[in-house]
Amino acid sequence: MSFEPTKRRRVARHWHRWLGLFAAVPLLWLSVTGLLLNHIVDLGLNDKRVSAEWILKRYHQLPEGKPVAFMANERLVAGWDGALYLDGKFLEGFEGELVGAVGVKDKLVIATKESVGVFDGSDAMAIELDELSLPALPLQGVAVAENVLLVKSDSGWSSFSDDFLLFEEWNDSAEAVTFNLLNDEELGDLESAITSSRSMPLDRVIGDAHSGKLFGWPGWLITDLTALGAIILTILGLRLFPKRKS
Amino acid sequence: MTAFLLCGGSAFSATRVYQKPSDFVKSALGALPPTQALKLTAAQQNAVSRLLGKRYKTTTIRYWTRNGKTAYILEEIGKVEYITTGISVKGGRIEGMRVLVYRETHGMEVARTAFTKQFNGVSVKSDSQLSRNPRNIAGATLSVRALTKLARLALYLETLK
Repeated sequence: MSFEPTKRRRVARHWHRWLGLFAAVPLLWLSVTGLLLNHIVDLGLNDKRVSAEWILKRYHQLPEGKPVAFMANERLVAGWDGALYLDGKFLEGFEGELVGAVGVKDKLVIATKESVGVFDGSDAMAIELDELSLPALPLQGVAVAENVLLVKSDSGWSSFSDDFLLFEEWNDSAEAVTFNLLNDEELGDLESAITSSRSMPLDRVIGDAHSGKLFGWPGWLITDLTALGAIILTILGLRLFPKRKS
Repeated sequence: MTAFLLCGGSAFSATRVYQKPSDFVKSALGALPPTQALKLTAAQQNAVSRLLGKRYKTTTIRYWTRNGKTAYILEEIGKVEYITTGISVKGGRIEGMRVLVYRETHGMEVARTAFTKQFNGVSVKSDSQLSRNPRNIAGATLSVRALTKLARLALYLETLK
């Protein structure tokens, strides 16, 4: 086995020491999150969820901008940053830019630019209509006339059959429902309802924390630099391993 | 350091649209027939819940039929987001499956034709299981399960028409 000259060993040790210092925290982070990921089921963390505000912000789970709201069938339908809320409760599986909400007989109809959701009295979505069952998109408004659902698009107003599966051109006049601006108190109630109802699966958060994605591009950069640092530390460590000639 | 980390752009917008639902129906059936719908009874909703492990997102499910073939546009959650899938069925067997919209950040390998073509010709056995299960994909287990559930759902809906 050959021995390094003293000066080169000194330089290698210097680099090993300082690189080790800077890489210590990120390596510890990667090790802990990696261990958690590998044993997430054993630790019973796979069903846990996180609702910390900064985590929700990172996943775009908290809305930005101003909400729009409509009253229909005595229900408050709000749209905020692409997410939809019914009486302050998040509508799972139905999203989009809200254009209106109306009551059609005992049904609540919520329209976004790209789709229409029909909800029954138990708040279950009875049917969702997309581009296959709607006139030209995007939708611009909704209205009710003679207990019939009307939607407005570039091609004008269309009226729907009772089962919402068929539509035809509507030649009479119609006026789209207009949204209500929420007052500060209603806005505050909606914000707190949204924050308390949203969460992310913990295993996804740990996975994204491990890869650095949770922190956007700086996280990726630090993860890459840490991986490079680990490679360099290994090489330097191997070079320093042989005993110095006495 | 914290400020540096938090100022980074997000990397979580992952929606991939592979095909519009209307294009899937046209390609599967050769044309776009009128929309029909199955309004599930309470018993049928319970049966669907047993297949999926939870209620389906709507109580009425649309379908399109032409020349003995039926096309369904169905959705199921992979891990946290819905996977929109087109499934065509003929004679109690799946004739084609296509992932139309994939919204998860992981597991999009299930959208590849090499994976979805495993469902071609699959039927359902008396115990509601598929006659042939697809191979799992490491890292996409939940998405594979979601598509398997949707295949079973489409075959169950076919018996209700």
